Amino acid sequence: MTTYPILSVTTFLPLVGAAAIFFLNERLARWIALATTLATLALSVPLYLQFDKASSALQFVEVARWIPSWNVSYGMGVDGISLPFVFLSVLMSVLCVAVSWTAVQTRVRDFYAALLVSETAMVGLFAATNFFLFYLFWELMIVPLFLLIGVWGGPGRTYAAVKFLMFTLAGSVLMLVGLIALLYLGNTLDFQELAGATRLNPTAQAWLFVAFLAAFAVKVPMFPVHTWLPDAHTEAPTAGSVILAGILLKMGAYGFLRISLPILPDAVQLFLTPMLVLSATAIVYGAYVTLAQTDVKRLIAYSSISHMGFVTLGIFTLNRNGVEGAILQMVNHGIVTGALFLCIGMIYERTHTREIADYGGLAKVAPIYSTFLALFCLAAAGFPGLNSFVGEFLIISGGFKARAWLGVMGVWGVALGTTYILWLYYRVVLGEVRPKLRELRLDLNLREVATLVPLALLVLVIGVYPEIVLSFLRASVTQLLGAVSGAGTVGRL
Amino acid sequence: MTDLLLLLPEIVLVVMALSLIVVARRVERAQSAAIFTVIAAAAAIFAGWAFSGAGPATGFGATISGDGYAQFFNVLFAANLALAALLSVKHLDAEHVRPAEFYALLLLSSTGMMLAAAATDLLVVYLGLELMTLCSYIMVGITRDRSISNEAAIKYFLLASFASALLLYGISLAYGVTGATDFQAIASAASSRGLAGHPLLLVAVALVAVGLAFKIAAVPFHAWAPDAYQGASAPVAAFLAAGSKAAGLAALGRVGLIAFAPEQRVWAGILVGLAALSIAGGSLLALSQSNMKRLLAYSSIAHAGYALLGLVSGTPDGISATMTYSFVYAFMTLGAFGVVIGLGERGEDLAGFRGLAATAPGTAALMLLFLLSLTGIPPTAGFAAKFGVILNAVRSGHLVLAVLAVVCSVVSAFFYLRVAVYMYMTEPQGVAPGRLPAEVSAALAVAAFLTIMGGMFPETFTAWTVPPS
Repeated sequence: MTTYPILSVTTFLPLVGAAAIFFLNERLARWIALATTLATLALSVPLYLQFDKASSALQFVEVARWIPSWNVSYGMGVDGISLPFVFLSVLMSVLCVAVSWTAVQTRVRDFYAALLVSETAMVGLFAATNFFLFYLFWELMIVPLFLLIGVWGGPGRTYAAVKFLMFTLAGSVLMLVGLIALLYLGNTLDFQELAGATRLNPTAQAWLFVAFLAAFAVKVPMFPVHTWLPDAHTEAPTAGSVILAGILLKMGAYGFLRISLPILPDAVQLFLTPMLVLSATAIVYGAYVTLAQTDVKRLIAYSSISHMGFVTLGIFTLNRNGVEGAILQMVNHGIVTGALFLCIGMIYERTHTREIADYGGLAKVAPIYSTFLALFCLAAAGFPGLNSFVGEFLIISGGFKARAWLGVMGVWGVALGTTYILWLYYRVVLGEVRPKLRELRLDLNLREVATLVPLALLVLVIGVYPEIVLSFLRASVTQLLGAVSGAGTVGRL
Repeated sequence: MTDLLLLLPEIVLVVMALSLIVVARRVERAQSAAIFTVIAAAAAIFAGWAFSGAGPATGFGATISGDGYAQFFNVLFAANLALAALLSVKHLDAEHVRPAEFYALLLLSSTGMMLAAAATDLLVVYLGLELMTLCSYIMVGITRDRSISNEAAIKYFLLASFASALLLYGISLAYGVTGATDFQAIASAASSRGLAGHPLLLVAVALVAVGLAFKIAAVPFHAWAPDAYQGASAPVAAFLAAGSKAAGLAALGRVGLIAFAPEQRVWAGILVGLAALSIAGGSLLALSQSNMKRLLAYSSIAHAGYALLGLVSGTPDGISATMTYSFVYAFMTLGAFGVVIGLGERGEDLAGFRGLAATAPGTAALMLLFLLSLTGIPPTAGFAAKFGVILNAVRSGHLVLAVLAVVCSVVSAFFYLRVAVYMYMTEPQGVAPGRLPAEVSAALAVAAFLTIMGGMFPETFTAWTVPPS
């Protein structure tokens, strides 16, 4: 194995970079940020190469004494479920730096420092092996994003930032109570020890589930606590939207997988039906609301609610197809929605409008841009051969296995999804060129193409060969399902 | 004679205070007196550390203890003294206050706090707290030409005297029932002679709790704090917020764990009520404040409630959590006040923080750190401390109280982070603030360092939090 504590280095290198940016010259900020994120990406490579896919155990484990009086240690490690998100986090961070290169002109230093702090929080969250550390990174994530939205965002940024902050804080403090109660009841916060220990009694589990649900549901976001998302996504600067859509939304779903399912299996069974109903509602309701949007960013934001509905649906089918599909869909959604926000950000930098009505005929003036957008739009619509298709297919088949109406809702959502995304593409790219757009240099430059290419490759590769992600998941998902199914009634529900 | 070793830190401070008074007429500039005071604080910490264990366990007829508990609070009070001394410099020069007198009062007030934490006798607790409070009245009103300052001093004086009277009355009742003012004697009298549950003793318990609740500004005995903090100069407000609260908590901890241990149920019941009211009241009342000193005053009320969460269990672990909390709170509140002081006149009003991140990014980042810590967001010391006390509340079965505490910390996020919104998300107004004075920077650096350290490595503080024996 490797000789350096690879997860800790990957997690904390961005923090070092942030400190360097804060104390060094403003002009160097971009370059330091780029160097830091690239170095982090490079240093994380051994994780993917040396990962043992056959094992469901935590790998690259690091443990150190930290707070013995609360029985909390510093623990890092990844399994098949967390590894894809570590990769997504470090990759997205590089792209966020790249896309902000010219877009952010004010208080550049603070911007990149905040971005790097958020990278630390993202990677750390997915690498944490105990709840205390998880919570620490969970909360650490809020502050830089609050600043990213509120300082560099659009016209309604302050409102959006405060709304984001209050929603997420309100959710996470209940998680804090749950965490403390869990520590009190189980006298440990280590995920594995908690999952392996004797089950808590069902009542305690139910209360804890509700406490954690408050935090996770806000982050996902699940219907009906999704209302912060359209504001935050729309007003955030491009990099902020990418991090929100690409990573932050996954944290909630990851919380379900890492905490609710293995540690509170009886409560999961108890709340199964409400969770599935909420997920299905999010899929269909989110899709209809998306159809009505006139602002490009808002449209993509609402589509996230629908797409994340698929994820929670997949998780709570509690069968292999559903859960594997959900995790794959989380990765895919991060890639595709991240890419769409990048695309929107690039064009917004030139036109300064987000209204769909102001666009039209981009294909004629910006062919390269339109090609990329076509690829990502098709991916978002779940076009076969592209990445999202596989995830949605797995989730829907898992849904049919669990309860037939879930599958039907899923198909309904996909149909609506195809409609809104292709209609968006039609209005923005096809048709007559708007006169105002003619005077602008709209097509992408080399830096922007380089930003989009990695995501385009991922879309194609995962679409053609989903095993590249699924093979990482398999062993861990088997173990997870084993843990959940140990509780009471299982199988067809 | 070896008894004196127990009081070495106090003696150092008193000697320094008296010498300052002697040379008062010659001290023109605040800076020299401040350096003198910082040296005194350092000497007190050193004296306490170097001679720890050298003296007897208790002295002066078992009224003073030299245990780890007292030593911990000695360090806290000395550090508080040093930081407050640094933060006062600019203000004293601007207001033309005679520096020597002010610093002498600061030293004597800290002496009182140390006495209160070391005392194992109700009368000595009373003496210590009175010494602290009497000096505080004068410091609050030391800018004689300002009417708001005079008003604050009078209000503070009237309410606090009333509280002292209640405390004294409680002490006398306890003496009447048990025949002792010594903690151990009260406890053993209550348990061995079957006096536990004696109605008069319960009244005494309640009165002592109320008297001490005034000192820590717990709701409903908080009314003096916002006015006193707003009327006082910011450094004095910071000194009181951090020090007076810690002194009150130190006394509450020792009295509750030892003297009133047989009355634990009543005592805990009172503390639960005080904690719940303070957390909810402080957080809600702070929402509408636009004066920074007033905002921090209400915040200090809420934090008194959080600190009390550690004491409701009456266990040594809980007291450790409260000790950590008061230590951490002292530094984060001194930090927040420090930024207010560093910004001068504009720092006293919320609007003065407009666009601060654009004009003074370093200062804004520091303020953000202290605000996050006050809110209890990791990875700051405020979070670790809050975690400790809430864990203690859950362990002692006060789950509802724990939920109330975290819900109120969301409420508090709203007003703390409103300052952050002003700093980061509004346009700057007027001239950019100048550089922070060197003394203020030094104080802020210490506070920021401890706020980060305490968050990253919570164990660093807890190792020193020895419950009273």
